[in-house]
Amino acid sequence: MRTFIRNIQCLTVIFFTVFAVNTGYCQSSEDFIPRTAVSVFSINNIQILQKVSLDELIQYEFMAEIQQELFDGSTAGRSLKDSGFDFDQKLNIFFGKGEEFEVAGFTFGIKDIDALFSVFDDFEEEKSSMEGVRYFRSYFNHLLVADKIGILIRVDPVEKLVKGETDSIWLSRGNKFVPNIFLDEYPETEYEDEEYYDDEEMEDTDDLFNVESEIDQIENGEGDQLIDFNEDLQLKSYNELRDSVFAKMQQKFFQEICVDLFILRKNLKDEDTDLKDLMKHDSEGVFYFDNSRNVVQGTNFSYFRSMFPTLHKDLKELYKGNKIVGDLYLKDDAISAEITAKYGQALGKVYQKMNDSKFDKTITKYIHQESPAYFSYNVNLREAYEEAYKILIPVLKEQKNSRIATNVLAVELINEFINKDAIFDTYKGSMFGTYNGVKKVTVKKLEFNYDEDFNYDEKEVSYLEDMPIFTLGFSTERNDIPEKVLRQIANMTSECKKMGDYWIFENAIFNSVPLYMINKNNLFIFTNDEDLALNHSDGFGSEKLARKQVKEMKKSGFVYANIDWSKMLKTIPVEILETKQADIISALSGQSGNMILTSSKTSQQKTDFKIDYMFEGDYQNSSKYVLDLINSLYIVLH
Amino acid sequence: MKQKSVIVLIALVFCFSSCIEVLDDIQINTDGTGTLKYNVNLSASKVKINSILALDSLEGKKVPSLEEIKAQIEKFKTALSQQDGIEGVEIEADFENYLFKLKCDFTSVDLLQKAVKTVVEKEYRTENSNLNFDLNWLTWNAEKLERSIPDFQIKKAQELKPEEIELLKSGSYISITRFDRNIKNYSNAKAMLSKNKMAVMLRENAYAVTQNPKLLENTIYLSPEKP
Repeated sequence: MRTFIRNIQCLTVIFFTVFAVNTGYCQSSEDFIPRTAVSVFSINNIQILQKVSLDELIQYEFMAEIQQELFDGSTAGRSLKDSGFDFDQKLNIFFGKGEEFEVAGFTFGIKDIDALFSVFDDFEEEKSSMEGVRYFRSYFNHLLVADKIGILIRVDPVEKLVKGETDSIWLSRGNKFVPNIFLDEYPETEYEDEEYYDDEEMEDTDDLFNVESEIDQIENGEGDQLIDFNEDLQLKSYNELRDSVFAKMQQKFFQEICVDLFILRKNLKDEDTDLKDLMKHDSEGVFYFDNSRNVVQGTNFSYFRSMFPTLHKDLKELYKGNKIVGDLYLKDDAISAEITAKYGQALGKVYQKMNDSKFDKTITKYIHQESPAYFSYNVNLREAYEEAYKILIPVLKEQKNSRIATNVLAVELINEFINKDAIFDTYKGSMFGTYNGVKKVTVKKLEFNYDEDFNYDEKEVSYLEDMPIFTLGFSTERNDIPEKVLRQIANMTSECKKMGDYWIFENAIFNSVPLYMINKNNLFIFTNDEDLALNHSDGFGSEKLARKQVKEMKKSGFVYANIDWSKMLKTIPVEILETKQADIISALSGQSGNMILTSSKTSQQKTDFKIDYMFEGDYQNSSKYVLDLINSLYIVLH
Repeated sequence: MKQKSVIVLIALVFCFSSCIEVLDDIQINTDGTGTLKYNVNLSASKVKINSILALDSLEGKKVPSLEEIKAQIEKFKTALSQQDGIEGVEIEADFENYLFKLKCDFTSVDLLQKAVKTVVEKEYRTENSNLNFDLNWLTWNAEKLERSIPDFQIKKAQELKPEEIELLKSGSYISITRFDRNIKNYSNAKAMLSKNKMAVMLRENAYAVTQNPKLLENTIYLSPEKP
């Protein structure tokens, strides 16, 4: 696993910093992403290489280490260019978790297969039963080479399935109890380490790539039985049995994926039009995340599938089309991510109602113009609640199950009896938050006080402590309700007090620092900023957020965030950091920028988000900026 | 596991401590009996401790819960109470201010040292440990007391990473030795004599002590007269 992760890390860094686009070949790396993948990040090498050439890239100091890692310590005059990778193809990193197994890996183009194996030198070629596909293996990692495409893949059955199957075999052998002491025999770290599996264990799965049996099973309509109850399983201890079950399952699921990719010629790109469209984009990178499959195949949903199959089907339908797709652009003066959250019709209606909310301009009075980071989140919970109620209750009512019917009745009665106006006027759902840097706050400590004979007692004294200052505020139309609650709390504890325009709760934060609450102007604000509570309970006045930023915030859809990394880094008190950490902060300070998140209006189909990172300094383009930043950090850390 | 967790917390406290105050106060009577008070004041670090305790783990190490720390303190108290020559063990733990006070009476200086070594050794002794539990830090006869600081205490502090040990620089270690007779003189020039001439105090920087334990060494000579 370590080798696999190292390979992924290494390649990700390389392709992140290199990138280009493919031309003139029949099949490309993106045609081999398994259908079971739920998320994909694809790096477009050609686009990147137009901005930073390989020759420029290998000049960076940090590349020396990457190249050493690739060539196992000795570069001997070799550079990234000799690694055998085809930088005219995309690198596609994928991951997927289903009910039965997890799959992770990446696909890439190969220019020179011999050179490539100077990088993947721990992989051994094994017999392949599929025409045109070469198969290499290193422990549980598989490398498949079809034409000029490489697919590095790892498949792991889910723990629950392995345990269930093992327990079942174990108990069928006449054992009364499943042992729970195996962790003492196999310490967790050792157990997870790939090197724990010796050659003998690996030989169990020698015909790992013999997919003929898998095809036979598919043709004969078999395949439900995960494990073939071999004779040798009868002789194994629980842990040996568990390892065998794991290996067999791994083999089965890996074969399923291979059959899908190479025999049935099915892949995620052909299956999913969103991914297909994304792959045509000329951005530097694209990402894809199928949230519907992520949620529906998740462990929580498995429960619904077995207990409430109809509900499971309905919820699956509800989540249909729920995906997040996006592009990454490296522009001349900025790095941008354009993201689209797509919804199915039903959920889309809820999101549309929820995000259709009037911007509360009052919040901008409480954001200081020098604030290094702030966000606003503007939603209409009342509308979202009503819409969700309209959609979910009919779905739940259709279920022929007494437990669900009882719960539906309870929800319907609560809906009738409660004062929804009071609830949603008090908590409308809109909020804002700010980070105001690090300030000194007064904290109490004990000191020993000695007399002339060295007898002592303890005395409480004040001292100043550095503390990050945050503010979190909620829009409300019912200031009277939080006021009622605070008054009652003040009756119960002397630590909660009304101080004119604000409330204070002593020692509320980490049992040491006071929390201030401002409950006025249709806002309920929590803060540890003493200055805001004492001197600015009606807002910062002329020091409030500048008009331009307010306009930007108002123009954005339901969410807006602004982070000024330069200001943020300047607020970190370097004197409390170790030298190395302080050096990193100093390296970042010289090369930081401003990050802004905006969103569009939400329709029933989608919401668009945009993240722009505008950096400072004179750079030819953002690729150079990223590389310089990586290099600065590399130099500081070595 | 719990013991390891508490050790992790103590290490973390040292890591994040902006200030630690250790007060080691021993009263020795002419017959060799006496009282030990050992106070650790972390109140100047309470924000950091509370922020650490709010986490499940930090840097891959489990952060113990308050209940685990309380259980560990109780265990230490029971273990110390069971040692020969030790009586009246009291531990006050103020979890609001993180002030911990240990107090116990002893029937002889040797038994006190043996008791402390036994309890600490049980907790920390490992195959690879370089902690020395053979050395004494108190040598008493009716005329004089030679005192230093337990070797294992210094070694444990030295096991901290260099950047962690740096943070001890703002901490202090105070050592007070009291008698029921007047003090004639003492060897450590930095020590201070109380007005009633029956107590000596040494105050050193906690970091300096870890680097040079001799700073707290003192030989105190007693006068035969009682006040």
